[in-house]
Amino acid sequence: MRVAATMNFWKSLNKSELVAAGLLIALGVSIVQQARDWVYVTPDGPGPGFFPLWIGSAIIALATVVVLRHLFAVFRQQPVAKINWKGTRRVLLGWTGLAVSIALLEPAGFVVSFLLLVLFLVMVIYRRSFIAALCVGLGATAGFWILFVKLLQVQLPAGPWGF
Amino acid sequence: MEILSNLMNGFAVALVPINLWWCFVGVFLGTVVGILPGLGPSATIALLLPLATQMNPTAGIIMMSGIYYGAKYGGSTTSILLNVPGESASVVTCLDGFEMARNGRAGPALGIAAISSFIAGTVGVILLMLVAPPVAEFALRFGPPEYFALMAFGLSMVVLLAGKSMLKALLSMFVGLWLATIGIDMFTDTERYTLDQIELLDGVQFVVVAIGTFAIGEVLANLTSDSKQAAFVVPKGVRNLMPTWQDIKDSRFAFLNGSIVGFFVGVLPGAGSTIASFVSYGIEKAVSKHPEKFGTGVVEGVAAPEAANNSETGGALVPLMTLGIPGSATTAILLAAFILWGLRPGPLLIQDHPELFWGLVASMYIGNVMLLILNLPLVPLFAQILKLPGYVLYPVILGVSIIGVYSVDQRLLDTWLVAFFGLLGFLMRKTDYPAAPLILGLVLGDLMENAVRQSLMMSQGDVSILYTRPLALVILVMTSAVLLGPLFRQVASWRTKVADQEA
Repeated sequence: MRVAATMNFWKSLNKSELVAAGLLIALGVSIVQQARDWVYVTPDGPGPGFFPLWIGSAIIALATVVVLRHLFAVFRQQPVAKINWKGTRRVLLGWTGLAVSIALLEPAGFVVSFLLLVLFLVMVIYRRSFIAALCVGLGATAGFWILFVKLLQVQLPAGPWGF
Repeated sequence: MEILSNLMNGFAVALVPINLWWCFVGVFLGTVVGILPGLGPSATIALLLPLATQMNPTAGIIMMSGIYYGAKYGGSTTSILLNVPGESASVVTCLDGFEMARNGRAGPALGIAAISSFIAGTVGVILLMLVAPPVAEFALRFGPPEYFALMAFGLSMVVLLAGKSMLKALLSMFVGLWLATIGIDMFTDTERYTLDQIELLDGVQFVVVAIGTFAIGEVLANLTSDSKQAAFVVPKGVRNLMPTWQDIKDSRFAFLNGSIVGFFVGVLPGAGSTIASFVSYGIEKAVSKHPEKFGTGVVEGVAAPEAANNSETGGALVPLMTLGIPGSATTAILLAAFILWGLRPGPLLIQDHPELFWGLVASMYIGNVMLLILNLPLVPLFAQILKLPGYVLYPVILGVSIIGVYSVDQRLLDTWLVAFFGLLGFLMRKTDYPAAPLILGLVLGDLMENAVRQSLMMSQGDVSILYTRPLALVILVMTSAVLLGPLFRQVASWRTKVADQEA
């Protein structure tokens, strides 16, 4: 009976909510820990550790209240909203494409890295044809290059080909 | 009467063809740099400083001020269309502006932004003309304790920005406050949370966090599904792309609220348009008959912050022109221009160089009309951007974001940070942590910490200095009222429930 109740309680939890609050508590603890290495008060007034210590403590306190409130709500069998993570794989894939494109910014230059990002997004994430991806990629990249680099003289990373 | 005759003389200066031309160049350039994220008005004015110092001072200051207030006009465009806030003051416009675009009302949102910018810009100029000297003297009474109170009031707006959970909004704000502590501590030269990265010594740039959490977070959220249709609905016909009379009627208080709040916050050096836009949005929501609709695309949610953002320009010129105190990076560059021209802004500037002051005031009237004429016809054109299908629009937003962030300091670390904050923005959306309080904390954190530390230095550690000075006390009472408002409403609703049950 007790095992079933525990299982039920566990199933009812919104784990994402708890993980998010847990991460915030961890962030708060690390903020406080670092802040304790700095002077809290100097003879002239508050030191560099003053503000971070209070901020870190507030984050720990508030995140703990989020956890407790959630556990209390589940314990009292109040309705708890669940998060729909559908489609998150596509998001992570898209974000990985963005990260790779940023990693290529310096070695390959903005033009090549952004063109590759657009090709990846249009073909892999949106499943459009190579021709469509190439049209969007070339159009957007050329548009940005003309507007920002040529007309507005914005300095963007250039690859070995000079663009 | 004297003001009127001075103003007439100002118009005589501003309407000289060459000054009209530089006014147009200024507002046009300002609109362009306002639309493009990353290229702020301060950088543009700094770039044009050598050119401006070759011109006569009146023409030069007319052009540079045109860039300043023109950029405020342009800033709303990417916020509404792409959820990309180009500057901190535009973050609030994203909240309802982008939602309006999502609901097929991008045109009315852009139109209302232009109209409110025009009205507030004009009100700002009128107030600059009428109340400049006494208001500037009043602003001088603001010391660190009053600034602390003002920042606390700004942060209390988190109550009004909270979505489903006040706790989560507060957490988001505290993380923003922590982000503001990253970098070198100016008081003691201590490195804080820099992870030994030289690039982080200057701290985390606002634009990185705002573009990451808003723009890239939005793109990632839209990647969850592959809709074959256009990303947004754009109604056909020019009439549907312009604000209706009802929109203008609904926004009439927002125009007034934003104009007045923007001007008076703008007068305070260092407070800036960010706090003005957040406070005016908060007031608008607090007095609204339907506060629950804010954040879902209400027209007042666009009108109030846009008005505040533009009226702030007139306010910011008050301490610069009358006391020689620059309140922001842009006005600091304007001050540099004055000095290069051999002029000394201060109490005697208006007396010694009336043609410059009144010429500028008159040119700002003309510039605001130019901006309205320039921007309103472009509304239907800009709204068409949203007709693009998702697989075209979202990569373009990513491109604008990367360029916008990189162009600020040409630092690769900023592009990594924007990607990180993009993912964070997506996760915050999923777990119902609002992003606006994070930005609020980041923008005001530094100012607040400085104010607290300066105050406590003044009082040698006596905390009572923060709440015993009359002006600070008044602002703190207002802050407490804002913070405790939801609690009182909650108690009142419980009492009503209990009374109903007993009956």
